[in-house]
Amino acid sequence: MNLSAPSVETFDVTKSYRIGHVDYPALRGVSLKIERGELTSIVGPSGSGKSTLLNIIGTLDRPSSGRVKIDGIDIRKLSDDQLAKIRNRKIGFIYQSFNLINRLTATENVEMPLIARKMPKSIRHDRALKLLAAVGLAEKAQKRPSELSGGEQQRVAIARALVTRPAIVIADEPTGNLDSKTTREVLDYITKVNKTMSTTFVIVTHNPEVSDSTRRIIVIRDGLIAKDQHIQRIDSFAR
Amino acid sequence: MFLSDVFELAIKALLDRKIRSALTIVGIMIGAAVIVALVASSNGLSAGVSASMSKVGANTLIVNSAMGFVTSGSGTQYRLSQNDVRILTAISGVSEAIPYYDTRASVSVGGTTLDGEVIGLDLNKLADMYKGITISDGAYPSQNDATAALIGSGIASPTGSAVQIGINQMVSVQLAASPGSGSSSTTVAFLVKGILASYGRVLFSDIDDTIFISMRSAELFFKTPYYSGFYVLTKSASDVSSVQAAIESQYGSNVRVMNAGSIASSVSSITSEMTVFLGAIGGVSLFVAAVGITNTMFVSVMERTREIGVLKALGYQSRQILSIFLAEAFVTGVVGGVLGTILGYFLSFMIGGYLPMSGGMMGPMSSNGTTTEPVFTADLILFALLFPVALAVLAGLYPARHASKMNAVVALKYE
Repeated sequence: MNLSAPSVETFDVTKSYRIGHVDYPALRGVSLKIERGELTSIVGPSGSGKSTLLNIIGTLDRPSSGRVKIDGIDIRKLSDDQLAKIRNRKIGFIYQSFNLINRLTATENVEMPLIARKMPKSIRHDRALKLLAAVGLAEKAQKRPSELSGGEQQRVAIARALVTRPAIVIADEPTGNLDSKTTREVLDYITKVNKTMSTTFVIVTHNPEVSDSTRRIIVIRDGLIAKDQHIQRIDSFAR
Repeated sequence: MFLSDVFELAIKALLDRKIRSALTIVGIMIGAAVIVALVASSNGLSAGVSASMSKVGANTLIVNSAMGFVTSGSGTQYRLSQNDVRILTAISGVSEAIPYYDTRASVSVGGTTLDGEVIGLDLNKLADMYKGITISDGAYPSQNDATAALIGSGIASPTGSAVQIGINQMVSVQLAASPGSGSSSTTVAFLVKGILASYGRVLFSDIDDTIFISMRSAELFFKTPYYSGFYVLTKSASDVSSVQAAIESQYGSNVRVMNAGSIASSVSSITSEMTVFLGAIGGVSLFVAAVGITNTMFVSVMERTREIGVLKALGYQSRQILSIFLAEAFVTGVVGGVLGTILGYFLSFMIGGYLPMSGGMMGPMSSNGTTTEPVFTADLILFALLFPVALAVLAGLYPARHASKMNAVVALKYE
């Protein structure tokens, strides 16, 4: 992890999708900087471009123009394989629908990103178990996703996102499929990790409860940053 | 990624859809089994043929009148007689012309009847014609003993029967046709003077099911001066083709000349063509199975589109995703190939019983249940194990590439 560099920097990023002969701009010049350890939410109406921005920050998609730096690394000239490595080393993903692999146990799911980087089985297994214990799922390590509740599945997904000790965790509507109680639990866990491990979180959400619990809210509208608001809180998560 | 992890993930994915994986494997298995069973049986066939051919010397020609057996003369056909001994021996390169009588016979041995053959010839020449033939009990009958016989091991102790014929016992033989007496058969009895050691099949005859009698007794029982044919021995193996040509020009279509060597080579070319043909049938079924793999994997890739997107998000590189899917195809091929080879091994023993040669080789003469033993060569086993694997991987390549090339963003949105 590059300690001095911001986790994410974008410089005048645009992205347009060509449908037929017409270009539809999704992003029209987004420049932002997210420092290490920030807990940021990105909000905006459907079709505003926030998911596109998230995909570009997550290196799953490339901008049409502009530059993106992840943890200080300019990713413009990297090959697909190099981007895959960046994702594996530096980025964790959390999705609304958890995106766990159903035939694998919770532990095996958490181990998945470590398999790609050739970590020996015993080491990655221990690490996965530790992460599961940290999200309170030590007892359910051998369960498959179908045997877990929604909240538990999302906690497995969070463990999977964190097991690589990423510089940045990208969460796309992480509480979209959860009830308010589990939403609370998941948010509490995210803020705890953010505080204790200085992991950068970028959360796309529609849910005001989620955005309110972050320290920075970036509002995207029509492919542009409409508002970028740092919220000063003595203790943003005391309730 | 460790290779062990690639395979572990692949196997878990295969086990996740057991029925589909099993059916795909069955397809491969059938293909491999068909190849092993058919080719091994066919190999066995050609091995059997060449073994029987090799017992006839390379310097031997067989000359038959147009119909091989002693039959009631139907008038027009040329008949070989004492006169032909002179004609044949006069041909340059011929060292000897050995006349013989030959007919099919039913042999009654203590209650059981078996199909055999009676051959009459100068018994002193027997060893010249059948290399390595030996007597296990008794002795060669004397030339003047008209009722003496030398019997094959299969007649002395028929398979599936407790009967045992010893020296000086009688065997009762019903000859298929007796010359000069129309088509009716005659029954004669011989006194066993010698028993041959098991020898096997030679060209058209199963020596083990043959009763050899002297020329004198053959003339007596067959009541004809006309021979079934001649064994023509040439001075050297290199004379065989020139002698064959000379005999054919001498007799025209009145006789058939057979050259053991050329029969052997044509039979072996037939059997090797058959092997290729049967192997190709197996190959076709494997190809069908391979298409099955492609199909199954495509469905599986589609179903796992989202999972592939997740793998990409987790930082799996394209070739890692490719290798996971290829490993699934590989495992399918290995399991199918191994199970198919085992199945084919057992199947080939069943097929052996139905092959054309299994009863009596080329002729209707004898059928006492000899079966063709399949022959498994290292090549065949290796091929049966590796070809399905290679095909499976090839079949999996396209869907696996499709998976690895997926756009992560699109894949993650896939419902």
